[in-house]
Amino acid sequence: MQNKNTLDDNAKHLHITIDPTHFSNFYEILQSGFIVRCRVGVSIKALLCEQFGLTPEYVVERISTIFLDGKPVDDIESAIIKDGSRLALSAAMPGLVGATMRREGVYASLRSSITYEEKHSNYQSKEGTVTIKLFNLLMEELGPIFLKRGIFVTFPAMATFLTKQPDNFWKACKEILLDRKPVVYSILQKSNLPAQCDWVFLTVLILN
Amino acid sequence: MDKILRINMGAEGGPKVTVAPFGDYAGLGGRGLTSAVVSKEVPPDCHPLSDANKLVIAPGLLSGTAGSMTGRISMGCKSPLTGGIKESNAGGQPSQVLARLGYGAIMLEGKPEGDDLYKIFINKDGIRITTDNSLRMLGNYDTVEKMKKEFGDKIACISIGPAGEMKLNAASVACTDAELRPTRHAGRGGVGAVMGSKGVKVIVLDDTGVSMRQPKDPDKFREANKVFTEGLRKHGVTGEALPAYGTNVLTNILNEAGGYPTYNFKEGRFIGASKISGETEAALETERGGVPTHACHRGCVIRCSGIYNDKDGHYLTKQPEYETVWAHGGHCGIDDMDKIAMMDFLDDDIGLDTIEMGVAIGVAMEAGLLKFGDADGAINLIKEVGKGTPLGRIIGSGAAITGRVFGVERVPVVKGQAMPAYDPRAIQGIGVTYATTPMGADHTAGYAIATNILRVGGFVDPLKPEGQIDLSRNLQIATAAIDSTGMCLFIAFAIMDQPETFQAMLDLINTFYGLSFTGDDVVDLGKKVLKMERDFNMRAGFTKEQDRLPPFFKTQPVPPHNVTFQVKDEDLDKVFNW
Ligand code: SF4
Repeated sequence: MQNKNTLDDNAKHLHITIDPTHFSNFYEILQSGFIVRCRVGVSIKALLCEQFGLTPEYVVERISTIFLDGKPVDDIESAIIKDGSRLALSAAMPGLVGATMRREGVYASLRSSITYEEKHSNYQSKEGTVTIKLFNLLMEELGPIFLKRGIFVTFPAMATFLTKQPDNFWKACKEILLDRKPVVYSILQKSNLPAQCDWVFLTVLILN
Repeated sequence: MDKILRINMGAEGGPKVTVAPFGDYAGLGGRGLTSAVVSKEVPPDCHPLSDANKLVIAPGLLSGTAGSMTGRISMGCKSPLTGGIKESNAGGQPSQVLARLGYGAIMLEGKPEGDDLYKIFINKDGIRITTDNSLRMLGNYDTVEKMKKEFGDKIACISIGPAGEMKLNAASVACTDAELRPTRHAGRGGVGAVMGSKGVKVIVLDDTGVSMRQPKDPDKFREANKVFTEGLRKHGVTGEALPAYGTNVLTNILNEAGGYPTYNFKEGRFIGASKISGETEAALETERGGVPTHACHRGCVIRCSGIYNDKDGHYLTKQPEYETVWAHGGHCGIDDMDKIAMMDFLDDDIGLDTIEMGVAIGVAMEAGLLKFGDADGAINLIKEVGKGTPLGRIIGSGAAITGRVFGVERVPVVKGQAMPAYDPRAIQGIGVTYATTPMGADHTAGYAIATNILRVGGFVDPLKPEGQIDLSRNLQIATAAIDSTGMCLFIAFAIMDQPETFQAMLDLINTFYGLSFTGDDVVDLGKKVLKMERDFNMRAGFTKEQDRLPPFFKTQPVPPHNVTFQVKDEDLDKVFNW
């Protein structure tokens, strides 16, 4: 659970504008998980549709597998996002297990021992943070939306990511701003982000 | 495909060939045929490596036709690993080629006296069997290269590596893919050891001059195939997820669910999962000039496979599948994709089941033979298997024997066969199938998820835990049926969700054979196959006590959900009540 002030106080803002050819470099961050600020105490459906702007059709048809705090969810209207929750989103997956994890699928009983159950119903809507993980097809489809909106990544994770990027990634970067000021990529490449920060607020614009 | 080829490897004066019509086995293919032959002709109490055992190699009912997805091949015998009946199946080209040559099955029978190695060449003109001791202890890749030099590159090969020659329990049978590489394996149950016991190193198939099998009603068959193919292409799993990421797309899902067995089933989540996920693997393949979307045989439209190149952009292996990445990865605490790919190559070359090997190595890690996460140590162990050192022979004999030799309690096997990549404490319904399938712990035994559309066993409430027994039964029935068609089990996603795709699959069979097969007939076929298999196992001495998971699943909770396997024994005993 991250307090809003703590996150903002300890975050550097890194903005990257990049060619779409190198979007897949961000997969590692998207699937490992990142933090977003949002209103919590609301249902998964409300979070996805009202705050992240996804259409109900997209959520129903495309996001067929959802985990809340590591537990597969069947009813996205009753499952509530709390401050510090972890929400993982996936498209339909193969295998018996893929079918088993599907929301309200015919094989849901096969994983009944870990299925998410909402224990209470009275939650206050308030500001908070959620860890989001995007898997498979949803990385490509929702990744650009979250990256544009802005995500929080821990400093060590961001430093590892930046250090690892090959030269052609940096060449594909059209603009790099650190706290709104242009920087040369070699600073980031050597992981020279100011070490005082705990978090990096990352925004990425994928060019068309 | 109207004849059966029997080769008695132990006949006086050398191997003897008999070609005969199907007879009692008419109408059967794939697993249906292999299990029918084994249950009828193999004495259940025989030693699996003796002359009494048979290795039955059978294409599916629709193999060799223009139908999509029809190229799976079944290999059946009494398993040296489980002591029960075994059907292990593989992709690759041999199924199509064998069926086009007109053979519904090859049966390797008897056992030669000496230790000569044989190669069998089959083309439209007949069968030629010759000794070739120059192949001794060659890996599958070198064996296929030699066959290419001798017979040209229009062939398909079925071969064993050194593990099969040494008759190790984890030995697989390799089938060549569309690029003539030995990358598709009938891995489970030690079928390679049975082929080795028959003295057969390689079967070379050449369908030059032979045409595609022709349907009874070509127009309707073409139309059914079109609808079937369109159905596969438009479905999210078969048309998008599998082609884009392959089966390893499941790593992130299982890990998130806490059902990803880690450190030899000690934990349910692996910290390095995202480094070896299907998403990461596919991106790496693309970056290195490999291919993330590739068919294991011609005629597959899903194309869940791929080509994995090394850091320098050279071919290393085919795209390792989910179970392989898990067995050599999370199970052993290894998160280095290149090292896992190297292990996949070594398994393919030496001729080993990747699941059995990965689990055996994890058990050895648990015993302290090497540390969890020691990728180089794991690679060396596989090399030891290839060389046939005493330690290598222990590991190559599978997880159960490795556990016994090194005194390990937590050994994840059922009926002696290593458990695949899904923790049955988190996904208990899969545990029901692991425990009860006649095959030993096998995820594919209950893979055909189209039970709802097949209407196998009526409606099961998906939200009630009691439904797990009924669902496991239904899944096993549906799987046994699809395994008999020669179709890849991955079609199940599209036929589960799209009734017209299911109907098109039935139409393919009906228009090809001039039948009027219904969903009920499919269910009956599945039940018949399972009944034969259970019957064989019972005659081989199996009781309900073998239909159980190892006790640690009931006593050791797995984090993060801290759950144990809760399904009662008496409920497991109801799975086959129909
Ligand atoms: S979907 Fe995958 S396993 Fe099935 S036939 Fe195609 S490539 Fe082979």
